[in-house]
Amino acid sequence: MKAVLGLALGVLTAIGGFVDIGDLVTSSVVGSRFGLTLAWVIIIGVVGICLFAQMSGRVAAISGRATFEIIRERLGARVGFANLVASFLINLMTLTAEVGGIALSLQLATSLQPTLWIPVAAIAVWLVIWRVKFSILENVTGLLGLALIVFAVAVFLLHPDWQSLGGQLLLQSPSQGSETPATYWYFAIALFGSAMTPYEVFFFSSGAVEEHWTRKDLGQSRVNVLVGFPLGALLSIAISVTAAIVLLPHQIQVTSLSQVLLPVAQAGGTIAAIVALLGFVAATFGAALETTLSSGYSLAQYFGWSWGKFRRPAKAARFHLTMIICLVVGAGVLLTGVDPVQITEYSVVFSAIALPLTYLPILIVANDRDYMGDKVNGRVTNFFGLVFLVIIVIASVAAIPLMIISAAGS
Amino acid sequence: MTDPLPQAPSVDARVVDARLHLLDRQVLDVEGDPVATVDDLEIADLQYGERLPDRPAPTISALISGPILTTRLFGGRTPPGRLQKIGWDLVADLDIVFTLEVKSESLEVTWFERWLASRVIGRIPGGDHDPE
Repeated sequence: MKAVLGLALGVLTAIGGFVDIGDLVTSSVVGSRFGLTLAWVIIIGVVGICLFAQMSGRVAAISGRATFEIIRERLGARVGFANLVASFLINLMTLTAEVGGIALSLQLATSLQPTLWIPVAAIAVWLVIWRVKFSILENVTGLLGLALIVFAVAVFLLHPDWQSLGGQLLLQSPSQGSETPATYWYFAIALFGSAMTPYEVFFFSSGAVEEHWTRKDLGQSRVNVLVGFPLGALLSIAISVTAAIVLLPHQIQVTSLSQVLLPVAQAGGTIAAIVALLGFVAATFGAALETTLSSGYSLAQYFGWSWGKFRRPAKAARFHLTMIICLVVGAGVLLTGVDPVQITEYSVVFSAIALPLTYLPILIVANDRDYMGDKVNGRVTNFFGLVFLVIIVIASVAAIPLMIISAAGS
Repeated sequence: MTDPLPQAPSVDARVVDARLHLLDRQVLDVEGDPVATVDDLEIADLQYGERLPDRPAPTISALISGPILTTRLFGGRTPPGRLQKIGWDLVADLDIVFTLEVKSESLEVTWFERWLASRVIGRIPGGDHDPE
């Protein structure tokens, strides 16, 4: 049982990081417009995030340094600051979207207006961060998030045409060329960005420090990554598949969270929809916790402040104040009536732009014997690390031009 | 033609690169709690514009943190009164982090942290309790 609960950090990071509101929506949008022709991006993304999350977890376990300390240390004050500003703003956008996501999910469950749920959601997130122990937080949200498996079950209940789905995987487009290449690649970058969002490594590495991982926990770190993220990817693909089966043939475009739910409701009725909703609430709540904590982690680690949930709040005052301010700002932005779904669609693309400045320092430090002793990267890890760095740079450079050409995928 | 750079003296001690190994490193206190990041270094009795070869090697007298960071980011100069220093004599160890031999509460650098903790965060119910 302890071993199972030991997986919690990976599962929470993946449920909250991989399958957050951005991914719920993006996967469903992509499934309903492109079928499975973009599933390969999710697979590449999951390999990339596994590689770098594992690297950042290893650095944290061996050296005790979390990712943003390393970013500052290796990139220096200026470039580190540029990365801090970018990551922090993206993180704040994502945080806003996640709190909005909780409110939307609760609205679907209760049909009370989301405006009423926004303050409730923000305060609940803060209370959990303020009072609840890190291990309880990961176990509860991680376990409840597993409810999203209902999407994978729904795929089978829908009795799809497996042959056509398989064909889509092999890039046989089902949409008869109604989508332009620029739109296709724009969504490819959005999916890649949402798979490799920087806050996942901020959270995973800081979580490793929170849980006082050491050299002994390296095996656990590896299992965490190798179970958690692929599970997230699987759920994300399952959401895409259900949208591809149910929504694509009817040309229904996903513009709201309730449409993500439609295929599950069709496959399994009310019960399945309720389970999926529970999964939505858990996943968005988990992601809201992760992004809120990450905003505190990144700022505190850049400036060298005391941080961590394992300390009492008064022992990490600036860290806690940062998170309170971020939640207030996020809730305030939401109360102006912006659509969280739209925020999330932009934030995943912006995060693609900021990726290189986060992943390069991790790769450098994972090779530094001062930090890592004999646990430096092996050749194979470095080879794949470099390959992914090239992909990341290409995605980062291409993101803005594609956004303009495709008019943000519309 | 003589070599403009004299041969580096051979030393038994460890050679550290100030930019690579000192600047931007995390500083921990005696109990391992984070104090600050090294934003700049104070070099003892070296006048601005003074040529190094004409004098004995300067020494680092303090780690500086806080408002001076803005000058590293955007340029300019911090008034001497606003420099928050940690004297080099307080440094116990230099590894991938600086470790000090005092507690973080005793340092000027952490005044804002302490002020927030006692006036704001500590006053919110539960702020002074361990998470449960």
